[in-house]
Amino acid sequence: MNAPLAPAVAACAGPAIAFDGVRLDLGGKCIIDGLSLTIAPGEFACVVGPSGCGKTTLLRLVTGLLSPTLGQVRRFGAPVDGPSRDVAIVFQDYGRALLPWRTASGNVALALEAMNTPRGERVERVAGLLDKVGLTGHGDKYPAQLSGGMQQRVQIARCLAQGPRVLLMDEPFGALDALTRQALQDEIAKLISESGATALFVTHDLDEAIYLGDRVFALQGNPGRLAEVIDVDLQRPRDQLRTREHPEFLRLRHVLFDHVQKTH
Amino acid sequence: MSNWPLRAGSVLVTLSILLLWQAVTASGLVAPVFLPSPSSTFANLWRGLIRGDLLGLTLSTMERMIYGWMLASLGGILLGALIGLSPRARYWLTPTLELLRPLPASTLLPVGIALFGLHPSMLLGIIAFGAVWPVLLPTIHGFSAIDPRLREVARNLGIGPFSFAIKFGLPNALPDVIAGMRLSLTACLIITVVGEMITAQQGLGATIMMAARSFRSTDLYAGIILLGVVGAINNALLGIIERALTPWRTAHA
Repeated sequence: MNAPLAPAVAACAGPAIAFDGVRLDLGGKCIIDGLSLTIAPGEFACVVGPSGCGKTTLLRLVTGLLSPTLGQVRRFGAPVDGPSRDVAIVFQDYGRALLPWRTASGNVALALEAMNTPRGERVERVAGLLDKVGLTGHGDKYPAQLSGGMQQRVQIARCLAQGPRVLLMDEPFGALDALTRQALQDEIAKLISESGATALFVTHDLDEAIYLGDRVFALQGNPGRLAEVIDVDLQRPRDQLRTREHPEFLRLRHVLFDHVQKTH
Repeated sequence: MSNWPLRAGSVLVTLSILLLWQAVTASGLVAPVFLPSPSSTFANLWRGLIRGDLLGLTLSTMERMIYGWMLASLGGILLGALIGLSPRARYWLTPTLELLRPLPASTLLPVGIALFGLHPSMLLGIIAFGAVWPVLLPTIHGFSAIDPRLREVARNLGIGPFSFAIKFGLPNALPDVIAGMRLSLTACLIITVVGEMITAQQGLGATIMMAARSFRSTDLYAGIILLGVVGAINNALLGIIERALTPWRTAHA
């Protein structure tokens, strides 16, 4: 494994996330079958695959909102038995994941309230988090007053407020325009490496997966299972132009693309 | 945004209706005992407010209406939150509620009189019963129709059921609840007046009834105009409160 371990979590032995022969049946249909994989602490793992191959289901298994029919999902060695504040999730539909009746600050504060952070500390922490995601001065706005990219930043700030050890992202930039998406890709890569959290990033965009990931897991559908794992050996911090023009990037892109074509 | 032409138009429409009324009465088409002229009605209204007991009667009707409304709102919100948040409560209570809902409050008045006598709180109970539905149904909807994504957010953050009700359920329901409370206040006014008419308790309802029975038509119309004004003021005040309580709905980029 070539995952660059962040110092804060490098001491933690064993994988951050482990799937062990996981099968999941929902409504009599097998969604995921025989899935085994491990993700190291501090690793940025991306998951790609055709729609309906169980990418989102994979994230739900990690959060504990779903339990496997067979096999086991473990976080830091312990079997998952339900949602934990150690695990934060960024949803694609930021418009539905934010509380419309709370301002940007209020939405971020929700995570702190849930963790019983003292009232006095919250204001300062919220302001710091909004600064971090580039929303300085927008704290008093309601989600309806913010652009899509800004709303997604609020959601990311709320997830960071949890101080998560694992950050799950479900096609977080899928609904954003290309420029906003690139800006947020770079920011999320920076935030993840700063926080030392383990990232599991689901996307249908192969370029995005290679650009962000230390490793890319390619799933295939019916039922969802692991088809291929690709190590991404590209220097960090990555650059929207240079990384994407790097021969290795192009080679990986070919490998992944051929693979997806084959399994489709 | 300037909307004075619209405002001017609405004043114009009201004035022309008054003028039409004046013209009909002046022409002698209708006997004044059935339809008095607006000028004598307003003169009588003014006299009643300044010198007579019309103001006191209006206030006692409004007091009854507001207490009934508060009772209906509180009951509607608490019961609605319970039913909206708990599927079990919904299964247990819905059949009974569906049986009670179509009953007109006025038909319960004789039952109330027979069971509890002509007690003022009996009338309050009937008003609250009749006016609870416009609050209850939207509250149930507001509390139960929370976006599944937000439920997931709450579960991931480990937010408990009470916090969920306060931080997710209540604000989600609030616009519906306030809209329901506006309808409820109108219902309260109607039931209060009908209740006063039937139980002859002091207030505008009984006064209007007495005026009609003794052919004091100017008193009758004065009372009706007063009720209309009370209703319009209620609605305007609630509109202001609604905007203050749900700022996110009027916030724009």
